[in-house]
Amino acid sequence: MSFTDTRTGYHRPEAPTGRGWGTAARVGLWAFLAISALFFAIPLFVMLSTSLKTAEEVRGGSVFALPTDPSLAAWGKAWGSACIGRVCEGISNGLWNSVKILVPSTILSVAIAAINGYALSLWRVPYAGLLLAGLLLGAFIPFQVMIYPLVRMFAQVGIYGSLTGVVVVHVLFGLPILTLIFTNFYRSLPPELMKAARVDGAGFFRIFRRIVLPMSANVIIVAVILSFTGVWNDYLLALIFAGRDNLPMTVQLNSLVGTRIGLPEYNVNMAATLIAALPPLILYLISGQYFVRGVTAGAVKG
Amino acid sequence: MTRVSLQNIDRHYGALHALRDVSFEVEDGEFVVLLGPSGCGKSTLLSSIAGLDPLQGGQILFDDQDVSRLEPAQRNIGMVFQSYALYPSMKVRSNLSFGLESQRMSRAKIDERVGWAAQLLQIEPLLDRRPAALSGGQRQRVAIGRALVRDTDLFLFDEPLSNLDAKLRTEMRVEIKALHKRLGATFIYVTHDQVEAMTLATRIAVMNGGRLEQYDTPETVYERPASTFVASFIGAPPMNLLPARVVRGDGGAVAEVQGARLPIPSGIAAQVEGEVTLGVRCEALTVMPAGSGGPEAFTGSVVVTEPLGADTLVWVEVGEHRLCARIPPRDARSLPGEVALAPASGALSFFHPESGQRIPGEAEA
Ligand SMILES: Nc1ncnc2c1ncn2[C@@H]1O[C@H](COP(=O)(O)OP(=O)(O)OP(=O)(O)O)[C@@H](O)[C@H]1O
Ligand SMILES: [Mg+2]
Repeated sequence: MSFTDTRTGYHRPEAPTGRGWGTAARVGLWAFLAISALFFAIPLFVMLSTSLKTAEEVRGGSVFALPTDPSLAAWGKAWGSACIGRVCEGISNGLWNSVKILVPSTILSVAIAAINGYALSLWRVPYAGLLLAGLLLGAFIPFQVMIYPLVRMFAQVGIYGSLTGVVVVHVLFGLPILTLIFTNFYRSLPPELMKAARVDGAGFFRIFRRIVLPMSANVIIVAVILSFTGVWNDYLLALIFAGRDNLPMTVQLNSLVGTRIGLPEYNVNMAATLIAALPPLILYLISGQYFVRGVTAGAVKG
Repeated sequence: MTRVSLQNIDRHYGALHALRDVSFEVEDGEFVVLLGPSGCGKSTLLSSIAGLDPLQGGQILFDDQDVSRLEPAQRNIGMVFQSYALYPSMKVRSNLSFGLESQRMSRAKIDERVGWAAQLLQIEPLLDRRPAALSGGQRQRVAIGRALVRDTDLFLFDEPLSNLDAKLRTEMRVEIKALHKRLGATFIYVTHDQVEAMTLATRIAVMNGGRLEQYDTPETVYERPASTFVASFIGAPPMNLLPARVVRGDGGAVAEVQGARLPIPSGIAAQVEGEVTLGVRCEALTVMPAGSGGPEAFTGSVVVTEPLGADTLVWVEVGEHRLCARIPPRDARSLPGEVALAPASGALSFFHPESGQRIPGEAEA
C-alpha cells in the first residue's frame, strides 16, 4: 500500500554495475565526493581554529596553522562582552531575539500551512491547478517588491517595528512554499482513507487531527527545517520589520563584524559566526535522515 | 430494516458518463451483487449509495426516505473499501471504535460493540496491533469489523476479497454468506468475480459501461441473459453465440445456422425477421457421433478437450465458429474426430442481431 511505503522508505533496487567500468566510476565518484567535502570543510576548519586562537596568534600566523594554545576566550567575548557599536554586551542578546522571532514564526507557518495544504488537497475544484500555480508564483517571487507596501500597511495597524510585525512577515512569506509541500504530500495519501473516515462520521478537523496528522511526521520535519532555516538566516526582513529592540543574531553579527574600533578581532568574529550557525547545524544533525526521506515523500507522488 | 431504491442515477466525471440512468430496487435483507467488467462504474455506484460522491441526476431512497442530499455519516451505513483503507496510525481497536466515537457513543457501549464484532470475526487477538502488522486476510476482517460495529442494517462492500489468494477467498466467501444470514441485514456487494456473484447473491445487477444490463436472480441471469453482453460475460466459458437466418416454412419458422435447422418457438418467431443471434450454454449441448444428430444438430470437428475435473469441455469447430460443450470426463476419452452437437429443447436464447437485446419467449414476457 502506498502509504506504508512513505512511512518505511522506498525500496531501492541495487543498480547493476559492470565490473571494470564500475571500479573506475567508483574511484571518480569518491574523488569527487572527497573534493566537495574538502571544499566545504576547509573554511569551517579555518573558522574553528581561528576562533580558538588569541588575537596576536591570528595576526602573526597562517590561517591554516593550528592554535598553539587553544582557548575559548574569544567565544566568551563574542557571547558576552564584544562591542557592537557602543554597546559591549556580545551577541547573546541577538541570539535570544532570533529565538523569539523563530519559535512563533515556525510554529505558526507550519501549522497554518499544514491545514491549508490539507484543505487544498481535498478541494477538487476545476481551477485547483491554477491556484497551485499561484502559490508557486508566491513562493518564488522576490519578496523585495512587497516590502514597501507591507511597511505602510504594518505602520497603519501599528505592528511595524515590533516582534509581532516581523513574525507576521515571516509567516506570510513562508506560507506559499510550505503550503505547496503539504498539499503535494496530502494529495499522495490514498483518498479512500478520507472516504472511510467520512463514512465513520468524522468531520474536517477530526479527520485532520486523528488520521492525517499522525501520518505527517516526515513532511512536518521537512517544513520545520525549511522554515527554521529561512527565518534564522533572514537579515533583511528582520532589519526592516523587527524594530531596534528585537534585532536578531544576523543583524548584530553584521554590526559586530563591521565595527571599526581598534584592530579587527578575527577570532571573536569567527566565534560569533559559529555561535550564529550552531542552532541550524544542530537541527540538521538531529533530523538529517528524516529530511532526505521527507523531501522525497513530499515531492514524489506515492 | 433497509430497502434501497435507486431511481435514474446519473453521474459524470467531466466528459466521462460513468453512470447512465441506473435504476433498481433492493429489498430488505437482500444480498445484491453488482457485477461487471473493470471500469464499468461499480465502485462509482457504491460511492453514490454511500453518499461519497454527488449525483448529477436521480434519487436514492432508503426506506422511502430521500437520502440523496445526506452526508455519508447521516445515511448510517457500514462500508468496506476496495483497498480496506484502514487508518494506518491507529491500532485495530481504534480503527473499529473511531466511527462510534464520532457518534459520541458511551465508552461502555463502544467496548461492548467492538468486543462483539471482534468476537464475531475472530480478530480479538489482533486488537492491539497496527494495520501494517496484519496479513491481507486479517486486514480484510478488520475492514469488515469496522463496518460491522456500526448499528445499521445496510452494508456496502467494494470487492472485499479481490486482494486475497484463491483459497482464502473461498473461505471468506462462505463466511460472508454466513454473516449475511446471521445479521439479516441488507448487503450490496461489488465484485467482478462471477463465482462470488453466483454463490452469494439473491439478485445480481450486471453492469456495462455505466448502464444496468440486467437485474435478476443468479439462475435467471445465467439461463436467460438479457443481452449478448450478459451472455458472454456470465459463465466460464461464456454462452455460445451464433448468427442465424430466419426461414419461414410450413411447420413454422426455423433458424438456419451452419446446416442445422433449429425450430423457433412461435412466440419468438413473430418478433424476428431476417437475422437473429442464437445463444446456447455449453451444458445444453449433447455430443453425439457425426451424422446421428438429425437436422437440429450442428456438425463439426473436435479442436481440443479441456478436462476440468468434474467434467470436460469439448471445443468443436462449426464453420468459422467455435462452440463448447460440457460432457462427463468418461465420454471424453472415446470422442470421435467429427461430432454432432444437439441443443436440448427449450435451452435456446434468441437475441436481436443489432441491439443484442434478448427476444423474450412466451413464458418470460
Ligand atoms: N475520480 C475520478 N475521476 C475521473 N474518472 C473517474 C474517477 N473515478 C472513476 N472514474 C472513471 O469512472 C469509470 C468507473 O469507475 P469505477 O471505479 O466505478 O469502476 P469499477 O467498476 O469499480 O472498476 P474496478 O472493477 O476496476 O474497480 C472508470 O472509467 C473510471 O476511469
Ligand atoms: Mg472498483
